[in-house]
Amino acid sequence: MGFGPMMSSLLRNKTGPLLVALQIAVTLAIVINSLFIVLQRVEKMNRDPGIDVDNVIVTYVRGFGPDFDVVDSISNDINLIKSIPGVVAATVASHVPLSGSGSSTNLRTVPDETIDAIDAGSFQWDEEGLDALGIELSRGRNFFAQEVNYVFMTSDNGVPASVLVTQALADDLFGEEDALGKSVYWGSMEPSTIVGIIDHMHGSWVNWASLGNVVIQPGKAAYTTNKYIIRVEPGIRDELMPVIEQKLGESNRQRVVKHVRSLEEMAARPYRRDRGMAIILCVVITLIIGLTALVIVGLSSFHVTQRTKQIGTRRALGARRVDIMRQFMLENWLITTAGAVLGVMLTVAVAYWLEVTFELERLDWRFLPAGIVILWALSSLAVVEPARRAASVPPAVATRSI
Amino acid sequence: MFSYNVKLALKSMRRNPVMTALMIAAIAIGIGVSMTTLTVYYLMSGNPIPEKSDVLFAVTMDNWEPLRPMWEDYPDLAPHQLAFQDAERLVTIGQGKRQTAMFESTLIIEASNEDESPIEAGARVTSGDFFAMFNVPFIYGSGWDKSADAAAEPVVVISRQLNERLFGGQDSVGERLTMRGVRFQVAGVIDTWEPTPRYYDPTQGAFREVDDMYIPFSLTRVLQLESAGSDWGWKAEVINSYEDWLNSERLWLQYFVELDSPRDRDEYVAHLDAYVGEQKRLGRYERPLNNEIYNVMEWMEYHEVVSDDAKVLVGLSFLFLLVCLLSTIALLLTKFVGRKSETSLRRALGASRKIVFNQQIVEVAVIGFTGGLIGLLLAGFGLQGIKYLYGSPAGLVKLDWVMMFTAIGIAITSSMIAGLYPAWRVCKIPPAAQLKTQ
Repeated sequence: MGFGPMMSSLLRNKTGPLLVALQIAVTLAIVINSLFIVLQRVEKMNRDPGIDVDNVIVTYVRGFGPDFDVVDSISNDINLIKSIPGVVAATVASHVPLSGSGSSTNLRTVPDETIDAIDAGSFQWDEEGLDALGIELSRGRNFFAQEVNYVFMTSDNGVPASVLVTQALADDLFGEEDALGKSVYWGSMEPSTIVGIIDHMHGSWVNWASLGNVVIQPGKAAYTTNKYIIRVEPGIRDELMPVIEQKLGESNRQRVVKHVRSLEEMAARPYRRDRGMAIILCVVITLIIGLTALVIVGLSSFHVTQRTKQIGTRRALGARRVDIMRQFMLENWLITTAGAVLGVMLTVAVAYWLEVTFELERLDWRFLPAGIVILWALSSLAVVEPARRAASVPPAVATRSI
Repeated sequence: MFSYNVKLALKSMRRNPVMTALMIAAIAIGIGVSMTTLTVYYLMSGNPIPEKSDVLFAVTMDNWEPLRPMWEDYPDLAPHQLAFQDAERLVTIGQGKRQTAMFESTLIIEASNEDESPIEAGARVTSGDFFAMFNVPFIYGSGWDKSADAAAEPVVVISRQLNERLFGGQDSVGERLTMRGVRFQVAGVIDTWEPTPRYYDPTQGAFREVDDMYIPFSLTRVLQLESAGSDWGWKAEVINSYEDWLNSERLWLQYFVELDSPRDRDEYVAHLDAYVGEQKRLGRYERPLNNEIYNVMEWMEYHEVVSDDAKVLVGLSFLFLLVCLLSTIALLLTKFVGRKSETSLRRALGASRKIVFNQQIVEVAVIGFTGGLIGLLLAGFGLQGIKYLYGSPAGLVKLDWVMMFTAIGIAITSSMIAGLYPAWRVCKIPPAAQLKTQ
């Protein structure tokens, strides 16, 4: 059968094919837009935090009672932790990167408050802090031990002489110029000198635009809750966590060990929404592709059954099996293509709605041809079995009255 | 006639089991997916206190940096939290019917004997008005009164969960808890209370559970309580003592006022303006006058508690439902039209168009109802899945009666709409046409 008769048969009974084409169009719009969102989320979750997330343990402890001395407690705890075999490095930190809890500040290159300052996440830790997180210093030097002092919530510690900054923050502040050795100014307009540059690390809030901007001050945070960051040798993290919890718990009864967690677990929490969204959308994509494919199979099977006599007649008049097969495949291809054309328009409309209403990123146009190709493949696959059944109708059927 | 139609419908459904199953599956999946996302959206955007949401107001005053607004993207919005000195003074002035300044802190509940271990609990530091303002339900005892606020008495109201943990769920009113070396007396135990969203303080996330315990705001100074919530500051201030911190311009308190009627709103803002005017004369509040109060639903909007993801999912899942309906129409059409001869026969035997039409519609309704029920079950699973993925509190993932009826309603209505065209096509079949050839 040529193209002409097929078209005329499709047009004569146009509602059914039109509905299928519409369904394919909406399916395409949902699948492409969802897939685009999923890939963006996956990309976001897979960003390199610049930290040895897998081998870091984080512990929060909190002292209470009149006899509790926070400085003693911190120094004893850190010594105790370092004495445990397998521990590589440990520090007390003001905040834990990637944890969702942190502090931010802003910096300027000149002491002039009319100039807009650059946002950055801010941390304090001691000379072992970088090692405890597995962060690489690309240039300059780490803090010296004598630069690191205890800092308290309710006492003014002034600004430190030396700070470390990430390359991203250095670039935002100084552009092309080399930031190493330069001064940065805090809100009080007092300066600190950049002594070292970290190639890359993430700060506290994974959804923050300035996630990669980090400034680190030397200091041992003696706050209400003391946060210890501990790096251990690869592979023994889960063994060491209960050991650390037990030893800390036994060593001082005037203190609550709030939790001992892996940084991996803590870092996954802020991404839970992204992960959830990606998983939900994957389920939606699977369901809708499955449903549309099943409906195509169902409808074509039904049509084959309906047209058994017509097929038999064609076969009796000399059509080969392959002709019958081709008829069904081609018919389906025509409907799918019509759906795809409509679908592209709908996809762009939905993408526009998402972009304008929710400020999502603009849809990458390459998703469109890719989607159409996949659609062709899937819908052809769905119709293969019914078409094969049609092809196997024997010519003799034509001679029987049903 | 109806029961006869239902019988015919069931018979016809049995004749094409695969088609019928496909149709039911299409509707069930469509309803399941769209109800899951709609329920999350509905609960996120729900009014947590409908009876009072228009007389409870969150207070904001623009105490940010002279040169820049707090939010670059929303320059008209004042910061969402207050400085301690302002919050304390506003409570003392007490212009509204009720008011509370509050923040979240954490305290260690010390063990009463050697065998127990101390535990850390979240505490909301607030005034006695809190409980009446937010209609907090009690199982035992009550909140504290004004004299306890004035005298900074160590009283505590605990949540049902904390009462389970500490006192095994017994009536614990009058029991003592030691925190910061002070013996607190339990004044009351709160019954199950799940304001969704947690409107009275959405700063740390709007869908958190309520606090473990509540203590008087006047204890802040006495016990030097720190905030465990967010703390914003723009000014470089030298802070050398707890008192310095309280007197600083740092913003870390939430403030709610209850007014007698929504009409008193302008009057209250005028009161704030007058207060800020005074402060301006003292050299504070250097930004242009920008005080605003928000009722509960406006406050939820300020904090954008309905996430964009939830909205995107509702949009996409209704497109999904559309696909399911298109499938159903296509399947029904094919099925009905494929039954031409039977319909012709019924028409020839005297069935009117109306009767044929009704029969088809009843069949569609049966399919829609079945699909809707299964869809509801799927939505139940879907919500469990969301709870697992997001670790959401139970309040955010439960199907209530409204949503159940909505689901069945949408299922039946949409499948009826889907069935209209096919049914119309069928009843147009002339009585004898199909009988001739056979």
